[in-house]
Amino acid sequence: MRRVARVATGLAFTLVILVPLFPLYWMVISALKGPEELQKIPPTWFPADPTFGAFGEVFQVIPFGGAFLNSVLIAGVSTVSVLVTSVMAGYVFAKYRFRGREVLFWAVVATMFLPPIVTLVPLYWLVSTMGLADSYLGVMLPWLANAFGIFLMRQFIADVPDELIDAARMDGASEARILWRVITPLLRPAVVSLAIFAFVFYWNNFLWPLSILQSDDKFPVVLALSRLLSYSTSVRYQNVVMAGALIASVPTMLVFLLAQRVFVRSVARTGVKG
Amino acid sequence: MTVGTRSTPAVRAASGRRAGARGVSRKAATIAFLSPAMAVIGVFVAVPIALTFWISLHDWSMYTPLSEMSWRGLGNYRDLLAGQEFFTALRNTAIYVLLVLVVTIPLALALGMLLYFPKSAGKGLARAALFSTYVVPAIAIAIVWGALYAPDYGPIAQAFAAVGLDAPAWLSDPGTALVSLVVFHVWQMIGYYTILVIAGLTQIPLDLYEAARIDGAGFWRQTVSVTLPLLRRTTTFIVLIAIINAIQVFDPVYILTQGGPAESTTVLSFAIQRSAFQYGMAGQASAMAFSLLLVLIAVAGAVLAAMRRRS
Repeated sequence: MRRVARVATGLAFTLVILVPLFPLYWMVISALKGPEELQKIPPTWFPADPTFGAFGEVFQVIPFGGAFLNSVLIAGVSTVSVLVTSVMAGYVFAKYRFRGREVLFWAVVATMFLPPIVTLVPLYWLVSTMGLADSYLGVMLPWLANAFGIFLMRQFIADVPDELIDAARMDGASEARILWRVITPLLRPAVVSLAIFAFVFYWNNFLWPLSILQSDDKFPVVLALSRLLSYSTSVRYQNVVMAGALIASVPTMLVFLLAQRVFVRSVARTGVKG
Repeated sequence: MTVGTRSTPAVRAASGRRAGARGVSRKAATIAFLSPAMAVIGVFVAVPIALTFWISLHDWSMYTPLSEMSWRGLGNYRDLLAGQEFFTALRNTAIYVLLVLVVTIPLALALGMLLYFPKSAGKGLARAALFSTYVVPAIAIAIVWGALYAPDYGPIAQAFAAVGLDAPAWLSDPGTALVSLVVFHVWQMIGYYTILVIAGLTQIPLDLYEAARIDGAGFWRQTVSVTLPLLRRTTTFIVLIAIINAIQVFDPVYILTQGGPAESTTVLSFAIQRSAFQYGMAGQASAMAFSLLLVLIAVAGAVLAAMRRRS
């Protein structure tokens, strides 16, 4: 009985590792196959003649390099903005007392659960009325602050002892100085996890860029990828599409691998998707 | 870190002069620190919720100025209730969400226990593998799943053939397309929910298990009497988050099926985006969007009420 249990656990572990990774494996080997091998029935489970040609080709058939840089810009700026606005608002909600604080805070938190599709139409109208349709600023502006970041930062800043803040005030430090020089340095794990969350979220975000952007020179990489797919539905071009998918996945995977522990811990702590 | 060493004598002297102004400066800081975030959330989240309802009461083509909207009252809602599309989308969304829940909740609980209790070397690797699917762009990995599901060229079809079974047509059969998308969704999100279960498990004191063992309870008994009851809050939370995540599924539908075949994967979010941006029927899209919000609030309320009644 004990042995059966051990074998079952071992088998379960193997599945828990293989099932999540198999599609990623298939992405890699499909990118490495040539057009002939891709058309083979049944498919090969290991590339017979691996070639890296598709990785060059994807940059020629569509402006993939530009799209990659667009994503870096969009995700980068949004992430920095979310960090700054969340630390500031989180500090106020954690440490200042004013009338309506709790109501305002929970109203903000409630927006965390709002599916973006609900407000897509008016958001499009607002941003295009501001003259920002089809612009980088238009893609970023609605997402430059978010409830999740504020919630996360408030939770962490609440743990900072009040005595520390009072001592700084005694010394005559301004509120801004207290926030950036006293509190923020203590928030490193929180800032790192929020940065990762925000970066992954903005890098992968698809619905809003799809709705607000028209010109392909402003497309982020996921949008470019969806266009690439619609040009090349034939299986012989699948290596190019898979190479694109692989390149698009590298930044978030890399960030995850580098900071896996912090990331998992912060999911556990907050329990909400950013 | 000591703060005192950081302020110069000049700053310290200034603090005396500013003592009376401290209340004012705190108030100014509140406004200064809060306003960037509140402006963004107010203008781009709060106002649009109200606007969604407002637009849903009008006829509007999306690409003309808002001033050219014409009042329709509840006409858009009447059209939704009279037509096919909304009910199809609502039904597909309901099936999708239910299937996701039915698979996700037991699986996440089982995986959470598997990755928490045994003292095994592979635990860290398994957690990382399981969670990695969550960070890959949905668009990129949906493309891969399209290839996995492909008839003839796909590995899943081959695996079925290898054991002598006829593979379903997955995404191209109206009977299986929605289920195929559910499988993808669960595959991508399960690691995330599992981490939440593990976080819940770490809150259960280990001596409870010790006591149960002394009373002669085996693994199943411990699971039923200790683990599951003490995970109730976590489980409720996961149910809510899973509903919210599943109810807004869009990316894989857009990439893999475009709502087809035969509208079998037209879920609400896809129908909303399509009415607004492809058909130019923003009033009707907004009526659907606002209905989605109401449905979501009702469902979340029901889940919370059910949870409260039982405890």
